Amino acid sequence: MRPDGRFVVRKVSSTVDDFSRGIASGLTELLAAESIDPGSLSEIVHGTTVATNAILENKGVKTALVTTQGFRDVLELRRLRFPDLFSLNYTPPKPLVPRRRRFEVAERLLMDGSTRIPLDSASLDAALDALGDAQPEAIAICLLHSYVNPDHEERVRDAIQARFPDTYVSASIDVLPEIREYERTSTTVINAYIGPVVDSYLQSLRVRLDNDHINAPVSIMQSNGGVMSDIAARRAPASIIESGPAAGVVGAHRLAARLGLNDVITFDMGGTTAKASLIEGGERSLTTEYEVGAGISLSSRLVKGRGHALKLPVIDIAEVGAGGGSIVRVDAGGSLKVGPESAGASPGPACYRLGGTDATVTDANVALGYINPVSIAGGSVDLDMNAAHEALQRSAATPLGVDLLEAAYGVYAVANITMIRAIKSVTTYRGRDPRDFALMAFGGSGPLHAAEIARSLGIKRVIIPEAPGVFSALGLLEAAPEYGFSRTMIADPVELDANTLIKAYEALESASLSRMIEEGLSADRDGAWSRTADLRYRGQAYELTVDANSIQGGDITAFLVEHFHEEHERTYGRRASDEPVDLVTIRSTYRIALEQPVPSSSRPSPMQHLPRVAYFGSQHGEVSTPVVSRADLTAADREGPLIIDEYDSTTLVPPNSMVHLDDMGNIVIDISSEDTVNAS
Amino acid sequence: MTSDRLDPITFEVVKNGLDSMVDEMAITVMRTAYSGVVKDALDYSTAFCAADGQVIAQGLTIMLHLGSFPSAIQSVLTKFDGRINPGDVFILNDPYTSGGIHLPDVYIIKPVFSGAALQGFVGVVAHQADIGGLVPGSNSTESIEIYQEGLRIPTSKLYDAGKPSEAVFDLIATNVRLPIQVRGDMRSQLAACEIGERALLELIGRYSAEELNRHYEALLDYSELRARQEISALPDGKYEFEDFIDADNIKEGPVRLAVSLEIRGDEIFVDMAGSSPQVPAGINSPLPFTKAAIYGAIRLIMDPDIPNAAGYHRPIHITVPSASVVNPVHPAPVAARGITGFRTMDAVLGALAQAIPDRVPADGEGGNTLISLGGRRSDGTPYALVDFFAGARGGGSGSDGSEGVSHPAGNTASSPVEILEVENPVVIDEYALITDSGGAGKFRGAQSYVKQVTNIGEQATLQLRSDKRKFPPYGLQGGSTGSPSLNILNPGPNERLLPTLAQVELGKNEVIRHEMAGGGGWGNPLDRDPAAVLEDVIDGRVSVKAARDEYGVVLAERSSEVNEVATAKLRTELARQRGS
Repeated sequence: MRPDGRFVVRKVSSTVDDFSRGIASGLTELLAAESIDPGSLSEIVHGTTVATNAILENKGVKTALVTTQGFRDVLELRRLRFPDLFSLNYTPPKPLVPRRRRFEVAERLLMDGSTRIPLDSASLDAALDALGDAQPEAIAICLLHSYVNPDHEERVRDAIQARFPDTYVSASIDVLPEIREYERTSTTVINAYIGPVVDSYLQSLRVRLDNDHINAPVSIMQSNGGVMSDIAARRAPASIIESGPAAGVVGAHRLAARLGLNDVITFDMGGTTAKASLIEGGERSLTTEYEVGAGISLSSRLVKGRGHALKLPVIDIAEVGAGGGSIVRVDAGGSLKVGPESAGASPGPACYRLGGTDATVTDANVALGYINPVSIAGGSVDLDMNAAHEALQRSAATPLGVDLLEAAYGVYAVANITMIRAIKSVTTYRGRDPRDFALMAFGGSGPLHAAEIARSLGIKRVIIPEAPGVFSALGLLEAAPEYGFSRTMIADPVELDANTLIKAYEALESASLSRMIEEGLSADRDGAWSRTADLRYRGQAYELTVDANSIQGGDITAFLVEHFHEEHERTYGRRASDEPVDLVTIRSTYRIALEQPVPSSSRPSPMQHLPRVAYFGSQHGEVSTPVVSRADLTAADREGPLIIDEYDSTTLVPPNSMVHLDDMGNIVIDISSEDTVNAS
Repeated sequence: MTSDRLDPITFEVVKNGLDSMVDEMAITVMRTAYSGVVKDALDYSTAFCAADGQVIAQGLTIMLHLGSFPSAIQSVLTKFDGRINPGDVFILNDPYTSGGIHLPDVYIIKPVFSGAALQGFVGVVAHQADIGGLVPGSNSTESIEIYQEGLRIPTSKLYDAGKPSEAVFDLIATNVRLPIQVRGDMRSQLAACEIGERALLELIGRYSAEELNRHYEALLDYSELRARQEISALPDGKYEFEDFIDADNIKEGPVRLAVSLEIRGDEIFVDMAGSSPQVPAGINSPLPFTKAAIYGAIRLIMDPDIPNAAGYHRPIHITVPSASVVNPVHPAPVAARGITGFRTMDAVLGALAQAIPDRVPADGEGGNTLISLGGRRSDGTPYALVDFFAGARGGGSGSDGSEGVSHPAGNTASSPVEILEVENPVVIDEYALITDSGGAGKFRGAQSYVKQVTNIGEQATLQLRSDKRKFPPYGLQGGSTGSPSLNILNPGPNERLLPTLAQVELGKNEVIRHEMAGGGGWGNPLDRDPAAVLEDVIDGRVSVKAARDEYGVVLAERSSEVNEVATAKLRTELARQRGS
């Protein structure tokens, strides 16, 4: 992206043996083609799946774990709960460190940080010897209650680093100094397991870029939506696990800010899954209840256990198995199902004629007349309408005993209801009313389904940004540096004086700042700290995170506890003003605001399109629907039905809804509240 | 689809809407509840029932509550016939007058109205941390009558036309040891009911009440049809199985659970004749709970996609003798009936294993061991630690039993050790797998684990509900039984073995150690891949001795590889000795 916001795009194939090779050569080619001096680049922002893939494909390094005596199996026993209620043979994911490489040291702290058993040097020596025999490439350390008193864990860490100076070491006090031993151990182990992989990848990327005379600093997208330096990412690789999906939400967040919208639901529908997230009060929403490798399952919000716990803040994204490639079938009881199985890009939907024979959501959208039957992607992919019809007839219409259009419309409706559950799980499940939000839809298939989903949820406005198919990638260019830190501090806020709390924040911030400077943060980048705190009613299992910026020597109760009561009431509908509240964890995030240009794509000129006959359910039936391009739209409202064909996406405006183009080039659909569809 | 004229697409959309509603209710409870039993053990359930009381949808939390709503709703319909009004909320827990399943499980049920017309009920049943009675946590196995087990709440109005009943709230707060926690959990149940009500009214606004009712019928028919299809595919025949509860604290023990299961066409008949008569100890299982365990066991061999609508019960016919441990009559105590529910489920699965040996794994740890420790902190404030030990499954036809995965009947979670220590005056000394505890087999049972707790506070009352010591988890198809469970007081030279069902005072610095039972093995241990045995030895799950004695696997020096020649020889010899 140039300083004026204009950007150029180049897609290259991944070089699977070493991803950094493809990146460096692709970048060099692009710079040459555009006659850009490599030395003039100011920053490279990188989103990578290297960390995630290392876990999903079991390609992390040989890792060892050192724990408190008696607790070797915390990592394996997890929290006992299983996600498949009706399975007799449920097998949990294998722990990332096998039992043979989990070693114990004799020591024990109590919950107040006092010592029950001093660190035993003989047992530490024995653990070091065992580590020497095991020859791990990474070592994780997690001792009980180290979040309240780091002494034992520091001594163990230092002894390990002294003995094995070339081995990657992660201690829980450096990764996640928070209460709950399984979650802390698991997060630390993830960090160690992927550490050397991410480390060598980013090192090799740096070397390759330097060789090509590209000296700009590299920033890495984090799961929380901020970017961090590559050096910081090498030390805290567990923070970049969900860097891919985060980018779309970051892009939506920035666009929402430019549009002056505080409350937005982001909706990203691709070929296999659909994802929803929330921007509320101008902020992205984060969660610390994430599991790596849990796959797509809404039930994971209720029953954990499918993946490896990762308790670092991740943008809260709900994902369901519904996308353009989702496969359609009718089950043994005669009920229509869509997904979660997907034909993906290969063999793909039946209409692609790439070998896929199952009917998919895309086939239904072709049959309904929504997608251009002749070709998509600007004419580069030809679709076979007959193949879509045959597949739908066989997979849905015949078994259901309905005609083809009804069956196709049913697929559209069932896919929508599945995706609605993703949106509900970030809104109504958390006490938020979707009607208070606008829906921002992107991804290849999002703009086709957004208006109908919005209508079902009572959402009044849908926004389709420019270049919706590559919107997520553009989000990378808009991310700002952001570094989050936390520490468990269990206290009764009523008894805590404000200065103690402020001192605790300041201590966390100054320790964190020196670490950031070590990791290459330059002093000339002025950032600001933003404070939050996790609280709960005494005895509850889950905390809520509330704003803590307003504490200034005054009354903590008024600021912190009242914020908590309010948040609890907003989320769960109830408060208990007379009951004791516990402070559990303090958090501080360092953000650097950047003056960034706004990405802007060149606008294609209007094109000539033929109207298509599209089916909008039994009430409207088949309607001859005008087809336009984005450039045909103006600030003046135009009534649906209307189809907007673009290179990378198709937007559907249903009957009765109004559509216009805003002055930034976004398509804005205002949804009619009239329920035109009995099956929505 | 068996119902005519219903649009199959709207049906799927409505079904999703109902599932989403009960899930949302369940998430609300989980995130707002106070007591560990609810928040960590997920010992609660949410349901939506049609106006006639039939369960239409249920949140996926705990198996043993599936099928336990109908009798509770029936008691509301019967007792308050003609007096159910908008703004009412009902509460109950008593098994003998009101369809409850034991006193700590409190039902809160809200009728939903659209205008003046009753549209159905939303309800939450949640295990309260205490409901009074002999011991903190109200899980005593020592009671001989239900009167000793705590506060009995007959079906009552907690809210009458929107007005809270001060009397009922006060009675509860006065009779429980932990009024703040109980009130907090009741509040979370009420919050979930309100969320359910709101979601149902939205559905009614979108479709008509009349159309929704037709979908409820269709959903019941659909779940019935799917269940019948699954049962049809099972081999016809009559299969019998018996299992026992140790019940070593009473002279009537051990307690026998007998199951005769007949598969005939698309129906299943389960008869528990021959089960022990009811006992003067709190392990009697009220009929709704017994039925839930039987439905649950059969549900486990069906496609998980079948909706949790009561229709799937229709092809399952259950006969249970009256005044038995699985269908007690007043005033038999029932506080610890969970154990009987687990065992009923294990026994039904044991019978099913004969019909479909490849689909049913060997027995697991027997459901959770429940430990409650209650007393006062040094500052006089009360506490009640309630924790579950669970998670050693039996081996199956293609895989070893999973370690650290709860019994399918009760999807409980452990509480974090660090949280337990912050909230209670205890130290957890050890929490680790036990070598050689899993039953040997071609696919071995899971290793169990030990949890050892030291009381660092003042004297407190300890209640332990465990099982499977005299009758450890059964193996199948030639697999061995798992190791028995143990409760050891003050391990060391002066240690004392406590019964499986035990209640003792635990003084300051006294220690209780529970070793859970190991999972049963599946298939002949001599058929186990020697490489798998080697891996287990390297990981310390199986000892070198057990590798040799149980599996016939001889390892080379330092356990680095299998001595194949010696192994083949030993296996031949063992096979001859064992006559296999």
